[in-house]
Amino acid sequence: MTLTRSQKRGILGACMLAAILIAIGVLATYFASRYQLRLIYSAYVNLIVVLGLQVFMGNSRLTNLSHSAFMGIGAYAAAICVTPIAMKQIALPDAPWGLNAFALDPVTSAVIALVITGAVACLVGIFIVRMTGTGATIATLAILVIVHSIFLYRTDIFKGNQAFFGIPQVFSLTSIVILAVVVVFVVRGFRESPWGVMLRASADDETGSAAMGVNVVRLRLIAWVLSGLILACAGIAYAYFLGTISARPFYFNHVFLTLAMLIFGGMRTVTGAVLGTFAISFGLEVIRWLETGPVIIGVNLPEVLGLSGVMLGLVIILTMALRPVGVMGDREIEELVLKKK
Amino acid sequence: MEYVAQQIINALSFGAEYALLALGLAIVFSVMGLVNFAHGEVIAVGGYTMVAFAALVTANPWIIVIGAIAAATLTSVALERVAFRPVRYADPTTGLLTAFGVSIVLQNLFLLFISPRPIAVTSLYFLDAPVTVFGIQISSLQIFESITILVVIMGLVLFLQKTTAGLAMRAASLDFEMVRLTGIRANRVFALAFLISGLLAGLACIFIMARRGSVDPHFGFNPVLKAFVACVVGGFGSLPGAVLGGFLLGAIEVGMLVMLPQEYGGLKDAFVFGIIALVLIWRPDGILSPAKEKGDKL
Amino acid sequence: MLDIQNLRVSHGPIEAVHGISLQVGAGQCVVLLGPNGAGKTSTISAICGVAQATGVIRLEGDDLTRVSVEDRIQRGIAVSPEGRRIFSNLSVEANLRIGGGIRANKGAVQDDIDRWFETFPILGERRNQPGGTLSGGEQQMLAIARALMSKPKILLLDEPSLGLAPRIVAQVFELIAQLRADGMTILLVEQNARQALRISDYAYLLNNGQVQAEGTNETLGGSENMMANLTGLG
Repeated sequence: MTLTRSQKRGILGACMLAAILIAIGVLATYFASRYQLRLIYSAYVNLIVVLGLQVFMGNSRLTNLSHSAFMGIGAYAAAICVTPIAMKQIALPDAPWGLNAFALDPVTSAVIALVITGAVACLVGIFIVRMTGTGATIATLAILVIVHSIFLYRTDIFKGNQAFFGIPQVFSLTSIVILAVVVVFVVRGFRESPWGVMLRASADDETGSAAMGVNVVRLRLIAWVLSGLILACAGIAYAYFLGTISARPFYFNHVFLTLAMLIFGGMRTVTGAVLGTFAISFGLEVIRWLETGPVIIGVNLPEVLGLSGVMLGLVIILTMALRPVGVMGDREIEELVLKKK
Repeated sequence: MEYVAQQIINALSFGAEYALLALGLAIVFSVMGLVNFAHGEVIAVGGYTMVAFAALVTANPWIIVIGAIAAATLTSVALERVAFRPVRYADPTTGLLTAFGVSIVLQNLFLLFISPRPIAVTSLYFLDAPVTVFGIQISSLQIFESITILVVIMGLVLFLQKTTAGLAMRAASLDFEMVRLTGIRANRVFALAFLISGLLAGLACIFIMARRGSVDPHFGFNPVLKAFVACVVGGFGSLPGAVLGGFLLGAIEVGMLVMLPQEYGGLKDAFVFGIIALVLIWRPDGILSPAKEKGDKL
Repeated sequence: MLDIQNLRVSHGPIEAVHGISLQVGAGQCVVLLGPNGAGKTSTISAICGVAQATGVIRLEGDDLTRVSVEDRIQRGIAVSPEGRRIFSNLSVEANLRIGGGIRANKGAVQDDIDRWFETFPILGERRNQPGGTLSGGEQQMLAIARALMSKPKILLLDEPSLGLAPRIVAQVFELIAQLRADGMTILLVEQNARQALRISDYAYLLNNGQVQAEGTNETLGGSENMMANLTGLG
């Protein structure tokens, strides 16, 4: 198999991003406190979410707002499979279909979670990918609301807003770094693959590409399902590290947070996704530190949470107003170093 | 029989409220292709203004109501100036994301500077009194809502058909640049669209406050979601579509409440959104979507 | 009236007009000829302010370079654009009212509308029909009438005969000739060289974004064969 020039550059770029991800991980293992480790872990989980988002949004240029729901599906599916029977008897005493009467090993559970999320994504995607522009965005919003209300309603399976606990904590920072690196390669690989190239071309000129015989709907579906699988990975990694999950983190706040990350970095490139995730994760932590630190004394916690939200919103507004393509625009990391093609 | 009539009236009054909300979104969308997710926060500003007026200025409900409408209108116009002007001619996604950003900022400003907890306003409870019409028990609020939406629709129709500004707004929904080429100022058309949208938000705010009686930072979220859905169902950008979508949504919601067994009550939203999704699969651009012109026109 | 010096127009990275100069005197009808892609429409867009351009555009001595689209119209430029761009969702009468939207005296606007309906009875008959239901020729008349509703000092006409049947084309040129006789200043863009030259005082021939030739009706009319070669029409 011969690689095109942009594919070779893609491998180089992915390697550079991987090096950065590994470097941050190594630094964190040696220098970070327990609390900071948790933050860095969640930044990596968000990175995988943002990469999953980039696969679909960056290549098809349709806005997806349902990604946190797919992350949730992955997390819950894996959690239900992997949690020991004894734990589930306590956590889910009324679960139907014998869901609380079996337990699998983490790998099998993860595979099952991927299959389930992939199947749901495929089913939903068949309809989503046929819509255009605003319609598609609204439809993804509907998915988010539907999935969330099912999580909330079926407390016998998902426990709603209460904690689903007892999930074995099998993941460490090392595992998430490895996972993130793999996902970076997958996402960059898709971007430079014939599918990715055609999909991006069709986003720029739908009629033109259709006339060239590009099946836009099928390409979008492929990107959508791949995106769903990556999001499921993020959900599984989230559940396997924390040990408890609930429905709340898989709703609007998380949708906007990850969306802001992707937009800020630039949705068109993988580098943008990585840059946006780390920049916003770091920025938010600084703001939270300022909020709780000596600067503002005696403000109680819920009110303090507002400032980071204001900042997040401002980042989105300013990015859209000043540089709608995000910081990276159309440039990947290797293009900053190498000469222009 | 009485039960059926009552449910129909319920559906109509919910529908009227949703139509009011949806029109506020649709009027901005039709002119500049912007899905204004921050519409909900404009409504919340109205709610907080009521709080401020009731606490600091007067107990007279009419002054409170006028204050709320004025505040919502001003906020809407101000948002156009500050946030939406830079993305005026950008693609719809850019506008949508900007609107999300505005919505997040405002919500968190409420959180930061006012309170995360709900604040009660009791001055509007008098709007919600039980009345008996033709032997059917209804709320006076439902009557006010129906009258308001009728007046609003008639007012909008007159404005859009008879005034030059209204005609320019309709023309702008088709070919904005051509409107500018007749010398009519783009700034004015945009400001007017947001002004009307804010006015409608203010009206909607009154009814929502009269029902709920309190305002919190997430006050605007549910209304805007409903408005969103109504617009999508009716066809985004079409004003008659927004009204139709609003009433259809009201009917579906009441229908779900009546027909779903008690134990599935929690799934109401899921069912409503499921039906919406089905409508979209049937007609991806909504029921009354305006015709799109593709390709060259000679 | 209109004085353009060294105008360059670009669409994104591509420059369509490479520094042209042209003048339109008061009461003149000047025609801009040239084949497809010569930069005629780009020039019109630049005069209106809707295309990126450098160079100097003066209207009655006032520099328009930094003036917004709307202000240019308010200062007396009116345009019937390429493709007519009728507001197809609005009635014929509403199209005209928007054309007169910048005038303060609404009574006078209504008088002018009524006068147009007398001039073109077909428009009067269809005053309440959506503009989109008119035929191409009727739409062209409406587009010109709409432009004139703002009482402009200069009228820009971009390919008014495009896509019309020969009989209708004759009517359009008749209207332009009438406007010229009434003293209106006109800048006309056309591919239909022969008919355009007949009603114009001066002509510029554009090719590949540059002025290839210019002259009065008589001087250019003599070299009509050259014209025909260049434009592929004639």
